Amino acid sequence: MSTKISILVIEDEKSMCSYITAYLSKDKYIVTSALTGSEGLSLTASLCPDVILLDLGLPDMDGCEVLRQLRRWTRTPVIVVSARSEEDEKVKALDLGADDYITKPFGTNELMARIRTSLRHSHSQAPDSKYRALDLEINFEKRKITLAGEQIHLTQVEYQLLSLLAVNSGRVLTYNSIMNTIWGPYMDGSNQILRVNMANIRRKIEKNPAQPQYVFTEIGIGYRMRENEYDF
Amino acid sequence: MFKRIQTLPKHKQHFYSLAFSVFCMTAAAGFSFLYLRLFDKNPVNVTLIFIFFLILVACGTVKYLYDILCSLFSVLWLCYACDLSLNGYSLTFLGMSAVTLLMSALTSHIAAQSTLITKHEKHLLNADMEKIRANLLRAISHDLRTPLASIMGNSLILLDNYQTLDEKEIRKIISYVHEDSNWLINMAENLLAVTRIKNDDLAIVSRDEIVEEVVGEALQKVEKRHPGCIIRARIPEDFIILPMDAVLIEQVIINLLENALSHSGSGDAVDLIVEDGTKEVSFTVRDYGQGIPEEMLDKLFDGTPCTAAHNADSQKGMGIGLVICKTITAAHRGSIIGRNCDHGAEFVFTLPKKQGG
Repeated sequence: MSTKISILVIEDEKSMCSYITAYLSKDKYIVTSALTGSEGLSLTASLCPDVILLDLGLPDMDGCEVLRQLRRWTRTPVIVVSARSEEDEKVKALDLGADDYITKPFGTNELMARIRTSLRHSHSQAPDSKYRALDLEINFEKRKITLAGEQIHLTQVEYQLLSLLAVNSGRVLTYNSIMNTIWGPYMDGSNQILRVNMANIRRKIEKNPAQPQYVFTEIGIGYRMRENEYDF
Repeated sequence: MFKRIQTLPKHKQHFYSLAFSVFCMTAAAGFSFLYLRLFDKNPVNVTLIFIFFLILVACGTVKYLYDILCSLFSVLWLCYACDLSLNGYSLTFLGMSAVTLLMSALTSHIAAQSTLITKHEKHLLNADMEKIRANLLRAISHDLRTPLASIMGNSLILLDNYQTLDEKEIRKIISYVHEDSNWLINMAENLLAVTRIKNDDLAIVSRDEIVEEVVGEALQKVEKRHPGCIIRARIPEDFIILPMDAVLIEQVIINLLENALSHSGSGDAVDLIVEDGTKEVSFTVRDYGQGIPEEMLDKLFDGTPCTAAHNADSQKGMGIGLVICKTITAAHRGSIIGRNCDHGAEFVFTLPKKQGG
């Protein structure tokens, strides 16, 4: 990509804003910042940024409300920035259509990784046909999974789960969205079935389920799979 | 059984008692009928059957009225079934009533006593928590000031003397600021964790969680903060589902691991071992360092700021981390201990499999 990527930061804390701006402009990004929700909305319309970083605690309106209004007309990836205690808030934002979230305080590497992942998912036209990370390979066309060359046998549901996460690799998927995609919208509220299936998958692909290499848990939110190495 | 009935609303209590009495009396009548049909006509044995069921009624109902009614019924049935003359009628009635009433009095007495005991226990627990909370506040103000003062001082030096400092010194000062802010973040996270516990009755929202997921996320966070550290996690082959507030338990694991990594005084690996018991699951964090100083052992969890005597270099002490671990495990009705083992320090906390009470 030759043109610079533009990023809109909607955040009311000035020092936070300046830190993000300073860091991102050093790389190949053009950063614009908005201090309020309404300013953010109008800047989104005029600038058409490639990625939006949205803080959930804004002075003039609720971050989720900003997100809702954005999602009425644009599919620009939104990364929600939030303080730690608002777990339910994060899930709500993700289910409202945010692409990912990042928790304050975050490292710059983490931020860059999130932005890259979001850009990749928003730019890719055709879904990947293969996934690879460390020793794990998934061939979506042949529905074949190998770990260090050896084939792994998963049940139907386990395969669907893993491939859903792999297609969205690098990005967090909420329990709700996974349940909806795989079991349909009519399941009861409990996500126990999903977690048990995940535990079984972990036993098949991870060396030590307590120190996973491929599928990471984000407590109270959902799962995130390691980035697909084919995307770099 | 008695306790369970007493927790129901009033009208339900009556309904339940009535149903139970009718059930018992029907059963008694049925049994005695069968007995009389199959065996002899010995009224003593029939009386015994009735007394047994009357005791049951006494245990299972809340009002004496039911007991008396049931005794009356028993006597009438006895007279009818065994063709007794009504001569001994009043004496039998009195005897049976006495048995049931005594039984009733006994059960209600026991119930009253057990509620008293639970109340007392709760009171003790509250007093304990009160003490912990006070210590926590003291520890916080101590632990908050130290890094803040350092950040303030260091940034002031930078602002005032920027021109005269060379690059190496600037780097050093900034790294201090960075280190202290890391410490503050850690602290803020701990404080946020405590706010999840409802103050008055230590209530937490437990959900069924898969242990390895909680352990996994905690490890990930610690490894991110301490790049290059080695933590060996060992968990049972089968996955364990345990009721807990995952964010809180994650915080406990993080605190214990951070302690082990930064206070053991050795760069050796740290072990995290999860073991599945029959009633509880235990989590052990073991380091291979210098161990816990003897004089600290018995006040690890009460938030007494560690005086500079032993570890002058670790000026932040054990901090509030362990107090919070204690608070969290207590809120889960679990336990936590710290001790020295052969090659270093070891912290073990347990969580019950069923969240009772």
